[in-house]
Parts: sequence; structure tokens; C-alpha cells
Amino acid sequence: MLSSFRKQDKKDEESSTSGNPYKNLEKASVLQESRTFNETPVNARKCIQILTKIIYMINQGEQLGQTEATETFFAMTKLFQSKDMMLRRMIYLSIKEMSTVANDVIIVTSSLTRDMTGKEDSHRGPAIRALCKITDPSMMQSVERYMKQAIVDKLPSVASAALTSSVHLMRQGPEVVKRWVNEVQEAVNNDNIMVQYHALGLLYQIRRSDKHAIRKLIIKFSKAGLRSPYAYCFLIRIAANLINEEGEGTDSPMYDFIDSCLRHKNEMVIYEAASTIVSLKCVTPKELSSAVNVLQLFISSPKPVLRYAAVRTLNKVAIQYPAAVTACNVDLETLITDSNRSIATLAITTLLKTGNEAGVDRLMKQISSFLSEISDQFKTVVVDAIKSLCQKFPRKHTVLMTFLANMLREEGGYEYKKAIVNTIISIVEENPEAKEAGLAHLCEFIEDCEHTSLATRILHLLGREGPRTTTPAKYIRYIYNRVILENAPVRAAAVSALAKFGAASEELLPNILVLLHRTTLDQDDEVRDRATFYYQLLKHSDKALNSAYILNSMNVSLSALERLLHRYTMEPTTKPFDVRSVPIETVHVEQPKTDINIGVGLPRGGTESKTNREDTYGEQLAAIPEFAHLGPIFKSSLPVDLTESEVEYVVRCIKHVFSHYIVFQFDINNTLNDQLLERVSVQMDGSAEGFEVVHYTPCQVIKCNDTGSTYTLVKLPDDSSAVTGSLACTMKYTVKDCDPATGEPDDEEGYADEFVLEDVEVTVSDHVQKVLKTNWSASWEEIGAENELEDTYTLSIATLEECVKKIISYMGMQACERSDKVPDGKASHALYLAGVYRGGHDVLVRAKMALGGTTADVGAQAITMQLTIRSTDESAVQVIASAVE
Amino acid sequence: MGLFDAFIEWLGLRNREANVLVVGLDNSGKTSLLNFLRPLEVQTNNIVPTVGFSVEHFSCHGLSFTAFDMSGQSRYRTLWANYYRTTNAIIFIIDSSDRTRIFVAREELQQLLSHPDVSKRNIPILFFANKMDTRDALSDIGVSSALSLEDITNKSWYICSSNALTGEGVVTGIEWLSSAIKTSHEQGKK
Repeated sequence: MLSSFRKQDKKDEESSTSGNPYKNLEKASVLQESRTFNETPVNARKCIQILTKIIYMINQGEQLGQTEATETFFAMTKLFQSKDMMLRRMIYLSIKEMSTVANDVIIVTSSLTRDMTGKEDSHRGPAIRALCKITDPSMMQSVERYMKQAIVDKLPSVASAALTSSVHLMRQGPEVVKRWVNEVQEAVNNDNIMVQYHALGLLYQIRRSDKHAIRKLIIKFSKAGLRSPYAYCFLIRIAANLINEEGEGTDSPMYDFIDSCLRHKNEMVIYEAASTIVSLKCVTPKELSSAVNVLQLFISSPKPVLRYAAVRTLNKVAIQYPAAVTACNVDLETLITDSNRSIATLAITTLLKTGNEAGVDRLMKQISSFLSEISDQFKTVVVDAIKSLCQKFPRKHTVLMTFLANMLREEGGYEYKKAIVNTIISIVEENPEAKEAGLAHLCEFIEDCEHTSLATRILHLLGREGPRTTTPAKYIRYIYNRVILENAPVRAAAVSALAKFGAASEELLPNILVLLHRTTLDQDDEVRDRATFYYQLLKHSDKALNSAYILNSMNVSLSALERLLHRYTMEPTTKPFDVRSVPIETVHVEQPKTDINIGVGLPRGGTESKTNREDTYGEQLAAIPEFAHLGPIFKSSLPVDLTESEVEYVVRCIKHVFSHYIVFQFDINNTLNDQLLERVSVQMDGSAEGFEVVHYTPCQVIKCNDTGSTYTLVKLPDDSSAVTGSLACTMKYTVKDCDPATGEPDDEEGYADEFVLEDVEVTVSDHVQKVLKTNWSASWEEIGAENELEDTYTLSIATLEECVKKIISYMGMQACERSDKVPDGKASHALYLAGVYRGGHDVLVRAKMALGGTTADVGAQAITMQLTIRSTDESAVQVIASAVE
Repeated sequence: MGLFDAFIEWLGLRNREANVLVVGLDNSGKTSLLNFLRPLEVQTNNIVPTVGFSVEHFSCHGLSFTAFDMSGQSRYRTLWANYYRTTNAIIFIIDSSDRTRIFVAREELQQLLSHPDVSKRNIPILFFANKMDTRDALSDIGVSSALSLEDITNKSWYICSSNALTGEGVVTGIEWLSSAIKTSHEQGKK
């Protein structure tokens, strides 16, 4: 009795000192306590507490060592002798937590299988989940029988647990789970809506790779009529995925199914169908209207959730198809005053996108009335809406710009401020009329800006755009203020911006020199270095120097530069480091955001990040000894398909261009499940054009449903001005038949076979890397007319836009000075392109084109183009010129 | 609670509890034997190879047993050692019809006996020469000599032939085990 009193006292004390009793746990003492598990009889209450501590500790990120985890785990297994319900469930949780750290966790397999088939219903589901967590591929066979039974169990909780666990097991042993398909199919017909949903999910996972089977599955269940709205939503997502992947139109039966769901009786299903339809790639205004009609009904629903969902989706639709949403405008107007501010914000921004120019002022007024009440996240939505408005109504820029400037002055987090600054920057870049006003607002903003990254961005922009305005002098004050007042990174950016003014303008040069000279005494190394560097450069007032080192930055890939410099310092050499051996940074092409992802669709595989693509290729190739002497990769092309997508072997080719060689990488996917390929190589023939195959690196084995890579090394033709052409490709390999289940080959021998692929084209653009010259004309002067080539062509292309697009894609060069955008209604245009030719030679192209001219066909539109090419290398000029012919 | 407990103990009303470890090669009949000891209504006809271990409860002669039924498959035998320390008795089951693998059983027994958690303690070991009904089964004496049980000097042990399916011989063995545990318990008290 006394002891229990004391315990209580102690407890009170603990709870009064700290709110969380588990706050100051020590791993060693908790593990020490876990020895209690070995006692008989089991003290359930105490053990539950200890297990809680252990789970808490693991979830707080405490790392258990393998031996201590195993020891604790085995002590815990002894608790299976207790029949205490709570304790048993804590054991399940602990097993799941420790399954990855402890050894021999399979020791509890039999205990768990007994619980999952036992009489205690509340133990069965958790036991299944714990069992699947400890099951490794080698154990799959032994649990199979139990899982099959559990999937078709009468109890919904058991069946659901088995189904969801099976989805996880798919990762371990898909082959075994696939054998349970009959049971899963039975579970789809279960009356319980959750079981039905989970069963459908597993069925999809099992059939996933077989598009035809998925198609049949959808058609079957759309007719059979599922009870579960969740299952319906899932079917809609699968169907949408299929339509998008296969590029089907709205005439497909999959679309009919989604469309029919718009008339389902459950609101969730209706919404899912509507939001799926609007995000389909193939959707046309006609189909859109039916989905929008449904959403329109939701707008006037009394349920806030539905209103929110509908208006959010409409908001996204309005970005791409404003016309389709116009029909809802009247209903949206009523939502402006909705008591839920999130709904109101979305309604207003939707109206902003769909409305006409006259309504903008009114809506902006409305929104500013409650702007202070909404969260940053929704303010960002407003900013996005304003951005699209500016693109739509360029004339409204004064109203919108003032509004943005006001928003910029108010309180807000980094993300919010970033969105505003991005919007202003994009307006400045798109709309020349708004440029001066926008720059003035930004100048004001950096006077009091706490975000270093934003300040440096703005300074960079000022350096680029400022010198070209009518009165560049007025920006100098703002920039120099930064040099005096700000932290080191901002000061450094300000110095660079100042130097750009100095390089661009003769008048300002003396003043800039004075300012830079003062900054050479800065206390920060970087700032001082930059100031000294620019001061010395500007003193020469040499155009070529200015262009190369101030106005246009170095365009090498920074990660590659770092790697190569590191390698250079590792090996002692007297040879100076050659910057030209560094791969050039690919210009990040900004895609207009057309996809409206509203959170529907199934999770897709991660997209390959483009920035590091070439680095990874570089490492892959460097690992092959035959390619070691080739030097760094100049350019890797995007993968090109050499086969249809439905054939036995799907082959993609990537061209890696080196200074005198090309390595063709063939990624071969063996889609057959009963054949194994060995010694795979791709024979190439390009002798007619002077390409010479030097070496084949075959891929030793490509297993069933697996991908392998083989490489072919080709030497470029000796004539350096004729480096394009097409090469015939034939895949040669040895086939071995094998057992689809095990993947083991049936016989030793196999037979040789070959497979003809499409030709690989080597084009001009393979030899050229895009480079963005921020100041193109300065570079043009710098290179000079030494290797100039000028010619006039007549092209039978109807519009200037098309002509610009074609030239860019043929030459593979980057358009500078925004010259890729042709203003409306103009009859002539000048296109400025920049690039680096294989071997590191700068190439610049000026194409002046005008509508008119005559071609062979009478009546056809034609364009006359005067093409001027300059480069530091003569053959580069020849090759680029050949791209036009 | 102490007083009340002591009173019950004094009256001998409470079942004393004992942990028993059941080991032996795979397919020797451990799970079947324990299945026979379970109450009639929860017995099962479907015995599958144990993976890891499972826990059984049964009582006999005033003793309540908690039996840890270990898996006998070779890859799991190393896991037995985790349970030696906390056990009050060991039941070692031998398939007396499997003359080739009886030497494997002997190997495993030697390892068990030399384990520090077992060798230093006086824990009773009960051997079942199981599957006595099969035609070419060894007798309990034959099994005993094949395992050289006579070398065990510091522990009480007992061997009997059994048939786990019909229960023949099982009760005799368990009765010995209960009395042996009681004795060792009393010795421990002194």
C-alpha cells in the first residue's frame, strides 16, 4: 500500500515539472528497463509503459544499435505469453518499429500467424500488418496461405489489413502476390466499402504493367457497379492515367466511363470525375463544359467543402480555358462575399482570370478590402492571378503594378515576397512599357528588404536592365546604397551590378570607377575581390574585355567545373587548366506552365532532374575504360526512340558528343518475359558519310523485363565541315529462352539473332550547345568579322514565328535578347542566336528575315532571310550554315 | 497485495507457474505434442512447421506451464539460445524413427548443454523419444545411448517414449517434469 502511494507521489511530481513524461528518456536506462520483459509472470502494465518509451524513443530519431535492438526484441518476444490485450497491441507496434533494426525478427512469425487466425478479432488486423512488416522475400511462401485466407475473411478489418499489407508486399515479392489474384477479385465484391476500395487498389497494383488488363478491369467494374465511392474515385484515376499515358482522345471507352461518373449519386465521385476531366490532356471545350456545369452546381452548395473544392478547381481551369469558366461568373460573384475567406479569394482570382478588362479595377478593390485577413498562401494565389492578368491585359499594368507594390510593402513571409518579386520581374521582362515603373518599385523594395536572395536577384536584374533605360544614372544611387548598408552577399551583387553600368555606358564610367575604387577597401574578401577585378577591367575601357567578363558571364556548368578543378588539383601537372574542357551549362528552357495539376492522377515516377543529367552520364561513361581517353562530354542529347513502343525490345538512343568522337548509348528494354538476351551490341554503319565505328561495348546480359545499356563509339569524319548524316543501326544479340517464373535460362546454348532499328541522325544541333548571352551585341563585336559568313536564303515558310522556331531547332542554339518572340503584325524580324560549337568555340548567328519573296510555287508565302554567322572557328561557321540547307 | 498473496501461497491454492522451452529437430513433433496438451476444444488437426516460435499454455498437477515452442528448422536453431536464460525446464523431443538424423540431434543437444545459460544451472530436462508407434522406431534406451545421456551428470533428466498424436507416454513425462520443477524450486528456496 505504502509503495503504491509513493509511486503516485512520484508521478504527480513528474507531471508537474514537465508536461511530457517521456521527455528526458535515456536510451541506456530504457533498454535496461526492458529486462523486465524476462520476468514471469509478466507485469503487463509496466511492460506497456516500457514499450511506449521504446517506441517514443525510436520515433524521436534515437538510433538503436543492432545488438541492443536484437536483445530488446527477443526479450519482447517473451511477452507473447501474456494474454493482456493492450500489451499485445503494443507488441505489434513495437515489432513494426524494430523490424528494420533488429536481427532475426522472423522469430515472431508463428506467433503472429496464430494471432491472425485466432479468435481475438481485434488482434487479427494488427497481427497481419506486423507480419507483413517482418516478412522478407524468402519468407513470402510461408505466409502465403495465411494471407490468402485473410484476404477473403468475413471480417472487414481483417480483409482490409491483409489487402493493404499485400500492397506493401508487392515491393518484396510481386510474383507471390500476383498468385493471390483470385482471392483479391473475390474481395472486390465484398460488401464493405473500404475492403472493396483496398481490393481494387491491390488488383490494380497486380495488373499494373498490363495496360490491356487494366482497360478490361475498368470496363468490367464500371458495368458491375461498385458500392464504394472510394473505389469509384480510384477507377477514375486509373482511367485518367490510362488516357493520358496512351494519348487517347475523348472517344475512348475510358472517357465514357469518367463522363458517366458525372451523373453518379455520390458527391465525392462526381467531383473526382469533374476535376479529372478538366485536367485531362485531350479535353476539348465541349467536354469541359459538362464538367464545369457540375462544378457550377457545387458552387451554390450549402457545404463549404464542396464550394471550396469546386472553386479551387475552377480557378485552375480558368488558367487554361478562361472561356469555359465564364458561364459560372454569376455564381462566382456571389462567392466574393463568402464568409470563408479562402473561398472568397479563390472566387475573386478566378473572376480576375475570366473577366474582361473593365472589371479588373472593381475586383482589385474588393480583394484589397480583405487582403490583410487571408494567409500568405492565398495571397500567393492572388499574386499568381495578377501575373496572368498582366499577360492578358498589358495595358492594365499601372493599376496592377501599384497594387503589387502595395503588397510588397506589407508584412509577409519569404515565399509570398518571392512570388511578388517574381511577378514584377516577369512583367518587367515581358512588357517594355512597364519596365521603368517596375524597376522603380523594385529599387524601393530593396531599400528595406530582409531577404538576401531576393535582394541579390533584384540587383542582378538592375544590372542587366538598368543600363538600357533612358536614365540609367538614377539607379546607381539605389545600388550604391546597398554597397554601404547591406551584408556581404548583397554588397557583392551590388558591385557586379555597378560594373555592368560602367561597362555599358561611357558617360557613367568615371563615376562608377570612383565608386568601385572606394569599395576596394571593403572588409569582405568577395566584395573586395569583385571591386578590384571590375575596377581594373573597366580602367582599360576595352569593349571585348567588357563583353567577355562583365556583360556576359561564364557559361560553364558549375558542378562540372568544381569536379574538374578538383581532379586537376589532385594530379600534379604543369599544364594550365583549360576552361574549354569544362562542359557547358545547358540553358534551362522555361516551359510555359500549361499542365494544371489539381492533385488528381496517380503518383508518377520521379522525373529525371535535368540539371544533373549530363553529370550522371559523364560518370557512367567515365567508368568504361574504352571511353576514358575521350575527354569530357561536350553534349548529351535527349533520348530518341529507335523502335515503336509496343515491340519486343524497346530501344532508346542517347548521343554523347565528344570533341572528336560520338558515343551512342543504347538503352535496351527487354519486354519479353521468357527471353534472356546476352552479348547485346548495336552495329552501326555510317561509312557513306565518313563516320567510322571504332569500338563496341556490348551489354553482357539483359534479363526479362529489364533494361541494359550498350555503347558504340564512332569517330567523326575527318572533314570537319561535314559532320552530319544518318547511321544505320542493327541490334545483334544471343537469345536464350527462359522460364517466365524464375527468369533462369532453360538451355545453355541460345541462338544468335538480330533486330533492325531505325536510323540514328546526327544533326547540326548535336554539335552545338545552347548558351545564353545576356548581352548579345557585345559578344558579336567581341568575336569580330574574322570568320564571318553571310548569305541570303528564300524559305517557303508561311509565318515569321514558324521560321524562328525552325531555325532555332535546326541550329540548336539559344535565342538571345528575347528575339525568339515575334511581335504581332510585323513584316520583318531579327533573330539573334548564341551557342558554343563542339570544341568550345563560340558561335553567334544573326538572322534578319522579312515576309515576301518568291518561291517556285506560285502563291505560296515565303520568307527572305539574310543569315550572318560569326565564330572563333572556321569549320563551325560552315557546319552551322549547312543547317539551313 | 503481499499479505493476501502469501496467504494463498500458504494454502497452496495458487497454481505455480513455470516456463518451459520445447526444442528438438524439425519434424520431431514439438507442436503436435503441445497441441495434445491443450484443452480438447482448442486442439487442431492441422499442424504446420513453426516459424520462429509460438507460446502455449497448459497446466498439470498444480503447475501452470508456459511453453515456448521453438522452430526446429536448421536456420532457426540458433535462436533457441535467446530463451535459455529465462526457462525453468527444457523439453527435448527426438524423432526416434529418424536414425540418420539422431546424430544431428545429439550435436544440437551438446551445444545446448554447453551453453553458459544452461550448463551452470540445474534445470530439469525431459526427453521424449517421440513417434514410438512407427515400425522401426528406436526404444527409449536406444535413443538414450545414441544421445549419450548418461554423460549428463549435473542435471536431473528423464526419458520416455511417446506418441504425440495419441498422447501415449506424454502424461508420464509431464508428471515427472512437474515434480522435478517443484523439487528444483524448493532446492532454490533453501
